[in-house]
Amino acid sequence: MPIADRQLSIAQIFLENTLRVPIGPIGVRQLAISNTIMPQLKIAAVLALSILLQLSLRVLWPPLSYIDFPLIVVVYIALQRDAWRALLVGTLAGIIVDASSGGLIGAGGFSKTLTAYIIYFAATKVNLENPLVRIPVLAAATVLDSAIYVFWHRLLGYPPVLPLMQTISYRLIATTIAGTLVLYMLDSIIADRSAQQRQFATRRRVARRSTGTLRRR
Amino acid sequence: MATVRTQREIRQKAPLWLIGLLLANVVIMAIDARDNQGQQQIVRVWTQTVATPVQNVSSKAGGATSNFFHQIFSFRSIAAENEQLKQRVTEIESQLHTSRLQAAENERLKGLLDLRNQTTYQTLPARVIARDPSVWFNTITIDRGTSSGVKINMPVVSATGIVGRVITVSPWAAQVMLVTDEKAGAGAVVGQLGESGALGSVRGRPDLGLIEMRYVSGLEKVTLGDYVMTTGQDGIYPPGLNVGEVVDVKNGTATQPHQILIRPGARLDRLEEVAVLLYEAPQRTAPAQTLPNVEKKKQ
Repeated sequence: MPIADRQLSIAQIFLENTLRVPIGPIGVRQLAISNTIMPQLKIAAVLALSILLQLSLRVLWPPLSYIDFPLIVVVYIALQRDAWRALLVGTLAGIIVDASSGGLIGAGGFSKTLTAYIIYFAATKVNLENPLVRIPVLAAATVLDSAIYVFWHRLLGYPPVLPLMQTISYRLIATTIAGTLVLYMLDSIIADRSAQQRQFATRRRVARRSTGTLRRR
Repeated sequence: MATVRTQREIRQKAPLWLIGLLLANVVIMAIDARDNQGQQQIVRVWTQTVATPVQNVSSKAGGATSNFFHQIFSFRSIAAENEQLKQRVTEIESQLHTSRLQAAENERLKGLLDLRNQTTYQTLPARVIARDPSVWFNTITIDRGTSSGVKINMPVVSATGIVGRVITVSPWAAQVMLVTDEKAGAGAVVGQLGESGALGSVRGRPDLGLIEMRYVSGLEKVTLGDYVMTTGQDGIYPPGLNVGEVVDVKNGTATQPHQILIRPGARLDRLEEVAVLLYEAPQRTAPAQTLPNVEKKKQ
């Protein structure tokens, strides 16, 4: 077997087994790679940026730490109804932030993973794609994440140093406002699915028009 | 067809993944909670070692951005500040001359009295590379770790007062609990040790960003603006370090202690460089395990 063919077959095995992408001719393969790997790279980049922001913004102005950027990214991915990515990103983001924090390592991972799953589950049952619906989703996610985080710390004997209700309220306000803007930005950065949906909607409309014309005739 | 099957598989397997990841997080949490009570902190040391490069990058990025904005905002006041600084330099030069004379005199007197210089603890300068990214806790991370000789419970100070103590050490970084943390504590005295009887202990009040001093006898005189120093009896901080300044006193009585609030001497919200005191408090002798009367009975 020529080397080039062997390499392609390795790539094919990788795509078929790992990313579960059906492989066809070469053009389709390239399309499949760009459709599956590029969004993952974008998500990884966005996640890294959110963690960097979370670590560095407190130095600029301490109240900015009330915005939970990794949680916003987790909510966004969960709203895309991608369970595996949402759970993995939730765990990773939580543990990395925990490592730099004075709290228990794993508490943030637990709270973000559970929050991601609950939002994913809700998104599979109810349509949460509307930008206005996302606002209460973000607010609920912030409260849920904070409550689970504090619950584990209290349970294991490490109560947080700040007053609970006041801190949750500040986090709720800051994360919801910032999150609404960030989700809008993320839509334009990682908007493959939205673009696809828009394309499908246009096609459906065109198809309906044409079938309607035929019926009338 | 393959994609549809995959989506269904994902939906079916999602609860299993969720349970697996949640269990993994609980295990990590349990190990960390257990380790926090001992000296070996395996999970925290490993995660901090991995996180240190990220913290370095974020610290540099945050510092550069902060400086940029600071320069923009402070541009207008530079001219006025320049004039003030010139005046201040003249004043400081004359003060420096006086203090040099006093220092020389002080050295001569110390030599005569054969006193050891109490402030010469070995120090290790460190840079603050990260602040607690969560709002719930109040710690900082410094760029010195076990490779530089830092150990758990070593005191961290700034030029103006105590900052906190080391609670976690990895090879290249250490986490410091600030003195304003609720769990932070130190033995302290209002005024100079040996001159004042207003002894007590301090602990953080994170809700106010201040330090609370407790157990000071209501009979002792404490006034606003008094300085509070460490006593060295807490097993962490050496004696004579500045804790802060008294900003609020609710006077006690003969049976009730004073309620004192202290503003930390170190500017904890704007820390950039600190020093770790390579100081280990002298080991205390263990208390007697058996009571004398019990021994008597045995005899």
